[in-house]
Amino acid sequence: MNARALTSDVLLGIIPIALAVAVWQGISSFGYAPVTLLPPPGMVFTRLAQQLLTSTFQHEIASTLFRLFAGFSIAVILGVGIGLAAAASPVVNAVVRPIVRVLAPLPKVALYPALLLLLGFGHESKITLVAADALFPILLSTYYGASMVEQKLIWSAMAAGTPRRQILFKVVLPAAVPSILTGCRIGLVISCIVVFLAEMISSTDGLGHMLVKAARTFQAVDMFVPLITISLLGLILNGLLQGLRSYLLRGFPEV
Amino acid sequence: MIEIDHVSQTFRTSGRQAHLALSDISLTIEDGAFVSILGPSGCGKSTLLYIVGGFVSPTEGQARVKGRAITGPGPDRGPVFQEFALFPWKTVLGNVMYGPRQQGVKAAEAEAQSRRLIEMVGLKGFENFYPKELSGGMKQRVALARTLAYHPAVLLMDEPFGALDAHTRTRLQNDLLNIWERDRKTVLFVTHSVDEAVFLSDKVVVMTRAPGRIKEIIDIELPRPRRRAELLLDPRYQKYVVEIERMIDDTSEDGLRP
Repeated sequence: MNARALTSDVLLGIIPIALAVAVWQGISSFGYAPVTLLPPPGMVFTRLAQQLLTSTFQHEIASTLFRLFAGFSIAVILGVGIGLAAAASPVVNAVVRPIVRVLAPLPKVALYPALLLLLGFGHESKITLVAADALFPILLSTYYGASMVEQKLIWSAMAAGTPRRQILFKVVLPAAVPSILTGCRIGLVISCIVVFLAEMISSTDGLGHMLVKAARTFQAVDMFVPLITISLLGLILNGLLQGLRSYLLRGFPEV
Repeated sequence: MIEIDHVSQTFRTSGRQAHLALSDISLTIEDGAFVSILGPSGCGKSTLLYIVGGFVSPTEGQARVKGRAITGPGPDRGPVFQEFALFPWKTVLGNVMYGPRQQGVKAAEAEAQSRRLIEMVGLKGFENFYPKELSGGMKQRVALARTLAYHPAVLLMDEPFGALDAHTRTRLQNDLLNIWERDRKTVLFVTHSVDEAVFLSDKVVVMTRAPGRIKEIIDIELPRPRRRAELLLDPRYQKYVVEIERMIDDTSEDGLRP
């Protein structure tokens, strides 16, 4: 994609968001909702800009980001590892498949009370919850990507002298990268949601905690600031992943 | 020398029925010979090639190369597939270097060799392109260079020009013959084009429709090096083509009988 097409894509992407903000502004300007409950966007963004400069707010963002990255990274490592192993070995697959079938549809947040008791109120319980939720899309897309590698790619590598046990890393893994990255993208969005949720349920810091604290004291503006922040973070992280994706997939046909 | 000794291949289909793809094939291919396997689609000709490649093991019988039973793929037998099967994450140079690097050739040496091969197949200047940026004919040239790079004694070509347009196919046939005249590798070439088989080969093996059996082996006694323009006017060439086409028609009718 060339620079101009990219720019026009970004511009096109901004329009619906600008419209949403305009509707939001309209609702409070025309008095459909009291300003104390739904503050206008200008007020929220001003507060966000002020907050960004304070060290307490930076600390909240850092906590949330740390949990998000730690959980997401664990999910990527486990998901790709288990997914590849299941695709490569029928024995591993026979063990993993029923477990995944049982655990994947389970709402992971239901495990959170148990995680809190086991791991405490600090980072560990939240990181575990994020990892547990982001794991399955990554695992499944890795498994399917690795299972559907074109047979003739593998044959070509074997004929060139690649031993069977190296095929997994020399052919299957690189060929499955497009599918793995699709799983990661879903996993990243889930990570953003879940880290916020976990912090809302029980935490002493982080963006989710900020929201709950503000809501309990009816500080509507402060309630919207963490919301906007997490969606901006999601946007930035997704953009970074997209950049990584177009670098890693530069040889692959456009999907 | 490649010996295919009473090879049969049965596939289990979904309905647990056994499908006999190849039935009792015996064939000997001399070193340096260009042999085509010709037959209607579904006659198991590609399967026979995969058995020689070691990608598929026969249900019955044995295939041997230089007297040793084939138990798996090896760099002495290099495949070229209709689907090209290039590594999409590697550049042209990366694809061609793959084999030599796997063979333990040092990076600098492998690169120099690969650059020479890329030039030989007419793709100088495209070293850093990715396969998706190339046309079908160019992709197949890269695939051929990638296989030649690890110096296989036998080339196993599975309808390599089947996905290309007529003009590109003709050019690649000529180039393949030029390369073959120079280093006289053994070539096992699967095709469904009578024309292509006669033009390229020393020997054409005609197969019947499923289950694949050898119907006839025809020696093509046409002078080499072969020039397409001369050959098309040669009555002997025309006779081979007509004769083999008639044979294929017969095998198709066999297939239709209950």
